[in-house]
Amino acid sequence: MTYFPEEVVEHIVDFLGSHGDRNAVSTVCKAWYQVDRLSRRSVFVGNCYAIRPERVVTRFPEMKSLTVKGKPHFADFNLVPYDWGGFAQPWIEAAARGCPGLEELRLKRMVITDDDLELLSCSFPNFKSLVLVSCEGFSTDGLAEIATYCRGLRELDLQENEVEDHGHQWLSCFPDSCTSLVSLNFACLKGEVNASALERLVARCPNLRSLKLNHSIPVESLNKILARAPHLVDLGTGSFTIDNRSETYHRLINSFFRCKSLRSLSGFWDASPFCLQAVYPICANLTVLNLSYAPAIQSADLTKLVGFCFKLQKLWVLDCIGDKGLVVVASTCKELQELRVFPSDVYGAGITAVTEEGLVAISSGCPKLNSLLYFCYQMTNAALTTVAKNCPHFTRFRLCILEPEKPDPVTNQPLDEGFGAIVRSCKNLRRLSVSGLLTDQVFLYIGMYAERLEMLSIAFAGDSDKGMVYVLNGCKNLRKLEIRDCPFGDAALLKDVAKYETMRSLWMSSCDVTLGGCKSLAAKMPRLNVEIINENDGTSESKENLSDQHKLVLCQQFTSVSNDIMFTSNDPDVCRRVRL
Amino acid sequence: MGDQSNSPSSSIDSSSHPALCSTSSSFQTRRDLLSTDLKLGLGLSTSALHGSSSKQREQLSHWPPIKPLLRSTLEEKVHRSHSKTFFVKVYMEGLPIGRKLDLFSHNGYDSLMRTLRRMFRTTIICPDTSRVPPEKAHVLTYEDKEGDWMMVGDVPWELFLTTVKRLKITRADKC
Repeated sequence: MTYFPEEVVEHIVDFLGSHGDRNAVSTVCKAWYQVDRLSRRSVFVGNCYAIRPERVVTRFPEMKSLTVKGKPHFADFNLVPYDWGGFAQPWIEAAARGCPGLEELRLKRMVITDDDLELLSCSFPNFKSLVLVSCEGFSTDGLAEIATYCRGLRELDLQENEVEDHGHQWLSCFPDSCTSLVSLNFACLKGEVNASALERLVARCPNLRSLKLNHSIPVESLNKILARAPHLVDLGTGSFTIDNRSETYHRLINSFFRCKSLRSLSGFWDASPFCLQAVYPICANLTVLNLSYAPAIQSADLTKLVGFCFKLQKLWVLDCIGDKGLVVVASTCKELQELRVFPSDVYGAGITAVTEEGLVAISSGCPKLNSLLYFCYQMTNAALTTVAKNCPHFTRFRLCILEPEKPDPVTNQPLDEGFGAIVRSCKNLRRLSVSGLLTDQVFLYIGMYAERLEMLSIAFAGDSDKGMVYVLNGCKNLRKLEIRDCPFGDAALLKDVAKYETMRSLWMSSCDVTLGGCKSLAAKMPRLNVEIINENDGTSESKENLSDQHKLVLCQQFTSVSNDIMFTSNDPDVCRRVRL
Repeated sequence: MGDQSNSPSSSIDSSSHPALCSTSSSFQTRRDLLSTDLKLGLGLSTSALHGSSSKQREQLSHWPPIKPLLRSTLEEKVHRSHSKTFFVKVYMEGLPIGRKLDLFSHNGYDSLMRTLRRMFRTTIICPDTSRVPPEKAHVLTYEDKEGDWMMVGDVPWELFLTTVKRLKITRADKC
């Protein structure tokens, strides 16, 4: 093993799919570091502030695909101020200078401007794929740049971004010579999109397999599009309202009937119940169904639809499906692997849509279930124990009981035992979110049993610092910890500071941590990036206690194998943000 | 809804008044958070369903943890399907007989001003305009929950809806 030709090492290393494995290879010795760096095509940066863009680009000159993540996860729930950071600009600029062969860019929770998109569109002649997830800062003008200048673009995938609407012309910017599109998703756009330009685009892209429309595309257009693209595999419908049983509706049924390759359906903006019937012909082929944006469809219609989907592997639905609907899912969808049930009642009107009964039914009917996100009105320890027994294969288990700190309604006990059963049974659990009434005990269980846990989200739970310490001491593979509204303070934060160097990030908001505690942490661990987000408009920097407006964000900073210059912050001076 | 005003000094210009912009920013600003949280107060919440010692969902910010796109989709649906109305009295100074106006049928100050201009055939000035109000112009005021008379337009629309009791169109030179 000490003398191994580089070509052989490279060949072997090429088989390694995961970034973690390749990172491990690169630390073995200088030769392997070199082999990895010159052969790495796909680079993943989990935290954009952990390493400078220039370092990444210099280290991996043959990079073809770059993925960068910016804001912490809780930014999805408006807990991070808009101007926090996560700017794409330095990454695109660095890549433009050092990796002109870049073909794919994937950004999540970052701020990307129209100027950035313009630079992107002109800097990479082989650019093929742009995927933006939960990003913001750009408008349809930026999309026009991409459409105009990225010859040979195969994928433009916009997932849940905040995009400013500057008109519908952007879609017309795809030149007549553009025939390479495989995937186009503009479902998150709020404005009008030129439907006839879209129809022409679809007609000239014979390889189009995934198309997700926004609400502005009417059913008449959908009919024409499906007629031109019967080989679609993945469809997000546009507006799904038809006034009456018109000609359009009949044509729609025929259109769907012809789409023999369709496996994944989403969209259904404004869907009215009887329109769903148009979809019945293809339900038997569906593996993915996302009805989470169709609040007008109630339980009976949802249930009927799902009753035809016996090959379903992934189902995202609103809780109006009800426990009874979930029972039907359990008896129909034996291949189900992932279930997400979202709340439909954001006003807290107390509508009891789904409870523990639905979840128990699913767990007993769907043995392949491994990923769950479940918003419910209540949960019991008994139910969780049953679920744990029925489904030991969970890798992701996220339970959100809508009323914080709600106990088991039958026994009035905390849900410690229930979650304990989950972590004991599900040995491969990588992601967990807990809710309901929870004491420090649940964290003892998590620390003891959740060996593979990588990400933990906690809200309104725990009694004391011990809770947090159990987790930090126990979960060897913990990478991301996010905590809000828990009674964890400085003692917990400072108990095992070395732990943070093994993690990607820690988030704490509305806890009992003080400014002094954070400063102490920053002083003890100079290689950690410790940051307080202060949303007060005034002067509270001298405040010793972090109030509700303060949030602590902490992340690791990498140094390279050869210990060269450490990353130092050169962020723009974002106001109200204190780097310690 | 014809919105051409009769006089050249049509002063409701949404670009000059941040609170009047119905989509002031696509980016998630604190104002958007505020409007979401305050909408909770307008909803059907029957807080009696939850125990008094438990945390009420209405008091919590950023809860339940769902993404903005889902939240706005659900809120839109509620607005549309409930057909709830919120009629308030509107008086114009000098006219003894008042009108009634459904505030829920408007989605912002722009829409409200247009309707009022049409109803009362007068120019209504936005409080931030630096122009000297012409003699015949009016301003829109409202009585809030505390009984105080305030200028309309200073607070976000959703907050305004939670606190307004009735409207009065008064002469500009009186304010």
